[in-house]
Amino acid sequence: MNQAKAFSNVVTSRLGGETITACYQCGTCASSCPVAKITERFNPREVIKLSLLGEKDEVIAGDAIWLCCSCYNCQERCPQKVEIADVIYALRNIALKEGYIPNIYSEFASALSNDGRIVGVSKFVESKRPTLGLPPLQPTGMEALKKILSATGFTKLQKKEEKS
Amino acid sequence: MNRTKVGVFLSTCGDQLSEILSFDALTQYVKEIPGVTLIVRSSEFWRGNGLQAIVDAIKAGKINRVVVAEGLPKLSEVKIVEAVEEAGLNPYLVEVIDIKDHCAWPHRDTPSEATEKAKAMLLAAIERAKLLEPIEKLEFPVLKSALVIGGGIAGMQAAEDLADLGFEVHLIEKEPFLGGLAARAGRFFPTDDCAICIQSPVSDVKTITHTSRKCVYRSGFSEVPNLNILTSSRVTGVEGGPGNYKVTIEKKPRYVNEQKCVTCDLCTAVCPVEVPDEYNARLKTRKAIYMNIPNVHPPVYVIDENVCKFHDCAKCVEVCPTKAIELNQKSEQITLNVGSVIVATGFQEFDSSIVKEYHYGHYQDVVTNLELARMIDGFGPTGGAIIRPSDRKSARKIVFIQCVGSRDKRYNAYCSSICCMISLKHAMLIKSAYPDTDITLCYIDIRTTGRQHEDYYERAREMGIKFVKGRPTEITRDPDKNRLIVDVEDALLHRFLELDADLVVLAPAMVTSEGTKELAQIGLGSLLDEDGFFREYNAKLRPTETIVRGLYICGGATFPKDAPTASLHAHSAALKAAKFMTTGKMIRDQRTAVVNEEYCGDCRFCPVTCPYGAINLVPTTEEHFVAQVSEIMCEGCGVCVGTCPLGAIELRHSRPNQMLAQMKALMSINGTAKPLVLAICCSECGHTAVDSSGMAMMQYPANVRVMKVPCTGILQVHQFLDAFKAGAQGVMVVGCKSDGCHYEVGSEKAEKKVELTRMLLKEFGIAPERLEMFNMVFIEGDKFAEAAQMMTERLEKLGSLQLAGGL
Repeated sequence: MNQAKAFSNVVTSRLGGETITACYQCGTCASSCPVAKITERFNPREVIKLSLLGEKDEVIAGDAIWLCCSCYNCQERCPQKVEIADVIYALRNIALKEGYIPNIYSEFASALSNDGRIVGVSKFVESKRPTLGLPPLQPTGMEALKKILSATGFTKLQKKEEKS
Repeated sequence: MNRTKVGVFLSTCGDQLSEILSFDALTQYVKEIPGVTLIVRSSEFWRGNGLQAIVDAIKAGKINRVVVAEGLPKLSEVKIVEAVEEAGLNPYLVEVIDIKDHCAWPHRDTPSEATEKAKAMLLAAIERAKLLEPIEKLEFPVLKSALVIGGGIAGMQAAEDLADLGFEVHLIEKEPFLGGLAARAGRFFPTDDCAICIQSPVSDVKTITHTSRKCVYRSGFSEVPNLNILTSSRVTGVEGGPGNYKVTIEKKPRYVNEQKCVTCDLCTAVCPVEVPDEYNARLKTRKAIYMNIPNVHPPVYVIDENVCKFHDCAKCVEVCPTKAIELNQKSEQITLNVGSVIVATGFQEFDSSIVKEYHYGHYQDVVTNLELARMIDGFGPTGGAIIRPSDRKSARKIVFIQCVGSRDKRYNAYCSSICCMISLKHAMLIKSAYPDTDITLCYIDIRTTGRQHEDYYERAREMGIKFVKGRPTEITRDPDKNRLIVDVEDALLHRFLELDADLVVLAPAMVTSEGTKELAQIGLGSLLDEDGFFREYNAKLRPTETIVRGLYICGGATFPKDAPTASLHAHSAALKAAKFMTTGKMIRDQRTAVVNEEYCGDCRFCPVTCPYGAINLVPTTEEHFVAQVSEIMCEGCGVCVGTCPLGAIELRHSRPNQMLAQMKALMSINGTAKPLVLAICCSECGHTAVDSSGMAMMQYPANVRVMKVPCTGILQVHQFLDAFKAGAQGVMVVGCKSDGCHYEVGSEKAEKKVELTRMLLKEFGIAPERLEMFNMVFIEGDKFAEAAQMMTERLEKLGSLQLAGGL
């Protein structure tokens, strides 16, 4: 019980996680969720229930929270104004802090700090741009970006993640 | 004016107190106080010989102020005050203090300190008594007549109760027929009997009804003596005050003479105008001259003036055998003078079209519970058949969706409390009439909390009604097949369902009615809560009273209610109104606010802060307004006093000079080695919490001195500073909890002033934590004792307060 209280406190004290305790498990989020419709690995209602019950390890070590596609359908329709997508972000942040991060996200992270983009742009894609009437790609402002990444704690988190 | 002669009566409480307090020392001390002419010591003063001693001293002219130091103050005070009044002295010239529970008991381990505190308490009481002034009682007439607004189930029952008790009652209903929402609902849970059943009058009319309850149309309701029923009427203005309200009413024409109509149906047969019937969920049409259903009251047709062609047609006039149709009727303005008003304006369904994902108003086959009720009613538009409005084929698969717009923070956060039962009722009525119907009910939680309600839920399961725990996210429609699809997760199965349906029934939130909103617009708006329902005076003890005397509320106007609760409420409101009117008068003492017109001017603060709407601004010259306090409405809390920036308003029973004298006296003697603390307590929970701590023999140090004020809302910033000047090292303000303040807003106002004063103290270089507000309920004596102890320790740590010249 204490563990449950403690973990929901951890979530509510994080930006985006404040509203989690209002959930009364009506399932509007789940039936609104395009991801939940195609895979049993993610159900926003269950993520919230597990968090409220204090099942921290299951929540942050599992892959469910990383499957949310941030469409915000659930958040629009939640009758208790639980900011579900934001809660999921808060949970991701907690997971990250504790060293849980799916590989694909760490790849994104190193791509971002190396090239300023999370997905590299191939020569082939770049050659298509003029045919679509798009201007050539501008170089990323790496200097400014590095400052931002360091100021927001991103760089620190990344180092920690590399160590683990 | 007579010299003030204070009699001081010291009770030893059956010699219990003399073991702790030195009564000789107290007597010696009191004797020296100027103005004291008599000191009597006895075992008790609130009954027997002790009380007689007070009476005798008054009658002999020895004293004209009474100070009694007793135990059981709240009880003894009543007895003493009554006796004093009988003896011929104004009863407001009495000051009773509790030296047992406020002094001897809590400080019994330090008897000499207790004696010193008792001296200070006596001095404070004597100084206050000297400044007390006689307060008169005023009598106001109360008319023995009532207005009941709303002719639904609650309004009808309240009206009938009062009429049966002999009061003159006017019942007004904005629709052309009585019955309200109940009549449309058709059947009621948990008995499934018809909704418009009301109790039959207890008067002689009962002889025509035989049983205790009947439908409104055959109950003899209209024949109850003293009852005047006005349909198609609405209130357009309420003036006056408790005991004498002047209400203006607009009565729209019916165009059919109620005395002549014989409901023969000839007029409706010839009427050429046909419009959708809103009452029956637009599932059928009606004529311009119509009745909602055959069994209504009054049993008289009405003409819909928005669609009737009047003299261009007049076919009904020609055909009417009794010449009942009067197309030239006009609206009437009616003025009523009544002693009390009962509001029974009911509730209504929330507009479900606002919840866009359910497409109500867009998909024809999505209906609400009330619309479904019309289909279920045998007198209704479909004769009891359950159909799909889009193609009028029978509905074989039905899905109910609960909590549409209720328990939903986007619309109405509350649970409407009756919708689970309504949906269960409908599902079962359909299932019994058409057993092949496939019914699924989607719910968040099923709430069946009333008597027999859980049986109802069980019966529904037995009948094969399916339950899905989940709130659907959306209703979609397959246009090719004209079918609805309800998208829901069954949270128990962890499975997503796409429920196929002919008909989807929404259970919308029940929200405040149009009738209530109209009343809000004509001046009753301040009586509504944040959800738009009428707020009760006290949810626990006074559920049908408002903060305005003579104005009562009942039924759905206060919150959605089922019929049994609405009836109960109606009877309660009627009883409260009857109690108020029964003597034909109201006696109010003048423990009220009084305005010094010389200082008062134009700021308009007190009319806004007064929780009772008792203060009005009246012009004295063209540009100058002064506050005027209603002697009837004022409850004597002093929130206005605490608000007035000019000190232009005072309470007769708690003048600033009385408070200052008390404060100085309490701080004049310490007798302990600890820093003096002044605890200013409201007379409700604050002061009574101090009683509670004493009664339970809880201990706190004797340096804590208690001063009573009517409500902490009376306090002004300068009074806290006065307390420090008078010698207090710390000040506690003890009031009711904010949401439990007996004067609505007092605690909240005090809290703000304490905050402000703390900022000022900081500026003066005084530690702001020397002043703190505490909120408690009266049984929390332990909380008071703890707070007193804590405050003392805090001040000891802070060290002695040295006042600079600035304060």
